[in-house]
Amino acid sequence: MESSSSAGLEEAFLAHRDRLLRFLIARGAGDSAEELLHEIWLKIAARNTGPVSSPLSYLFRAADTLMIDRFRSARQAERRERDWSDAHDGTVPGVSDAPSAERHLVAREQARLAMETLDRLGERPAAIFRRHRVDGVPQRALAEEFGVSLSTVESDLRRAYAALAALKERIDEV
Amino acid sequence: MALDETIREQAVTWAVRTGDPAFDDWEAFTVWLEQDLAHARAYDEVVASVADTTEAIPVAPVANNDDEPARRSQSRRWFGGAIAASLAAIVAVGMWQAQPATYTVETAPGEVQLVALEGGGHIELAGGTRMVLDGDDPRTAVLEQGQALFTIEHDPAAPFTLTVGEDTLVDVGTIFDVKHTDGRMALAVSEGAVVFNPGQQNVRVSPGQRLISAAGSDAYELSELPTADVGEWREGRLTFQNATLGDVAADLSRMTGIAFSVSAASTGTRVSGSLLVEPVRSDPRALGPLLGVSVRHDGEVWEISAR
Repeated sequence: MESSSSAGLEEAFLAHRDRLLRFLIARGAGDSAEELLHEIWLKIAARNTGPVSSPLSYLFRAADTLMIDRFRSARQAERRERDWSDAHDGTVPGVSDAPSAERHLVAREQARLAMETLDRLGERPAAIFRRHRVDGVPQRALAEEFGVSLSTVESDLRRAYAALAALKERIDEV
Repeated sequence: MALDETIREQAVTWAVRTGDPAFDDWEAFTVWLEQDLAHARAYDEVVASVADTTEAIPVAPVANNDDEPARRSQSRRWFGGAIAASLAAIVAVGMWQAQPATYTVETAPGEVQLVALEGGGHIELAGGTRMVLDGDDPRTAVLEQGQALFTIEHDPAAPFTLTVGEDTLVDVGTIFDVKHTDGRMALAVSEGAVVFNPGQQNVRVSPGQRLISAAGSDAYELSELPTADVGEWREGRLTFQNATLGDVAADLSRMTGIAFSVSAASTGTRVSGSLLVEPVRSDPRALGPLLGVSVRHDGEVWEISAR
C-alpha cells in the first residue's frame, strides 16, 4: 500500500524483471519478450510517472495493455487487408479508399449493436457494465452502488463480456 | 475460429478480473496463461472484442458529479443546483463543529508522519503540518496548515472530502498533494483526479496538473507539473518554480526544522531550482550556490537574501 514515485517504479522493475518477462512470454510475446520489456521501460521512463499506489501491479498492467494493443492493431491490419482484397476481387474496381470517417462509422455502428446486446442482458448487467467500462468505476464500488455482492457484479460483467465477444464474432463473419 | 468453450469461459473470467483497476493477482494470471498457449489467444480475443465493440460508446455526462447518487439529483429539483450546494456546505460546517470525535494530528517542522485511514488509504504529513481528522468519518479531513500527500481509495458512495480554508477538494480515486500556507492552497495530482470546490468553480484537476488558489478568492490558476514532482518532499526533494524567497524560506523551515527568514529587501525576489533537503539541513549555507542567493546566520535564524 506504500506509494512511491518513479523511483519506486524503477526499483520494482529491476527487482521483478524476471516475473515481468515470464508474464510477457506467457502472454504470447515469444521471442519479442525482451524487446517488449525494454519498450515498456522506455515508455514508463518517458512518462515521468508520479507516485503510484502499487508499482508492481502498475508494471504488469502496462505489459498486459501493450500486448492487448499489439493484438488489436494486428487484427485490424489483418481485417483491412482482407476487406481490401475482397473489394478488389469484385467487379467494382478502384475507389476503395477506406477513409477514417468510414472506420469511425463502423465504430459507432458497433457501439450501437453493443448497447443493444447489453440491454438484452437486463437493466442491471447493462448498467454495471457501463459504469465499469465507460465510467471506470471499480467493481467493489459497483457492488455497493448497486447493493449487490461482488460476485454478482463479476457475474454480470462475465455475461456482458461473453455477449460482446460473441457479437464481435458475428460482426466479423459478415 | 471456434475456441474451446471452456477456455473461452476462463478467458472471460480473467478478462473481467484484470479489467478491474484493483486487480493485483498477476501471479495466478501468469500461471493460467502458461497452462496452454491458447489461453493468451482466447484472452486477447475477449479483451479486444469488448474494447472494439464498446470504445465508441459515449461517456455519460457524469464528469464531476461522481459523488452524486440518484438521491441528490432529486433534491436539485427542489433547490436548484447552486443553492443546494451552498446548503450542503453550511450543513457540513455545522456538523463539523458539532462533532466531538475530531482530533488533530500535528507535525513539528522537519518531521514527517504517516496516518493510516480507516477503511484504506493513508495520508503522509510533511513537517509543520496540522490536520484535523474525524474519528467517526474517515472520509473527511481538514488541512489547517502545511502540506500532505493523500493516497485515497475511491468510493463513489462516500467520496473523500478535504477542506482547505474555504475550499473543498473531492477525490475521484487518487493520489494528490495539498499545500496550505499563508492563505494559499496548492493542489497537485499524481493519479486519479480531484474536484476543486464541486459546488462552485467545480474544476477537475487531472494527473500532471496543479491548481493554486488564494484564500478568500474565487480565482484559481491551473498549470502543469511533472507528476514525478508530486509529493517529492517525501524523498527529501523540493522544486521551486518562480517562487518568492518568502515561499522558499517557509518551505525550507517546514521541511528542515531549521528557521529560515528572508531579508526585508528580498521578500519578493523570485527563484527557480530543485534542491535536496538533507544537505541544506546539515549546512544551510549550501542553499547559496543552489539558488543563487546569500545565506547569513542571524542568531537562531538563517536569513536568505538576493545576491
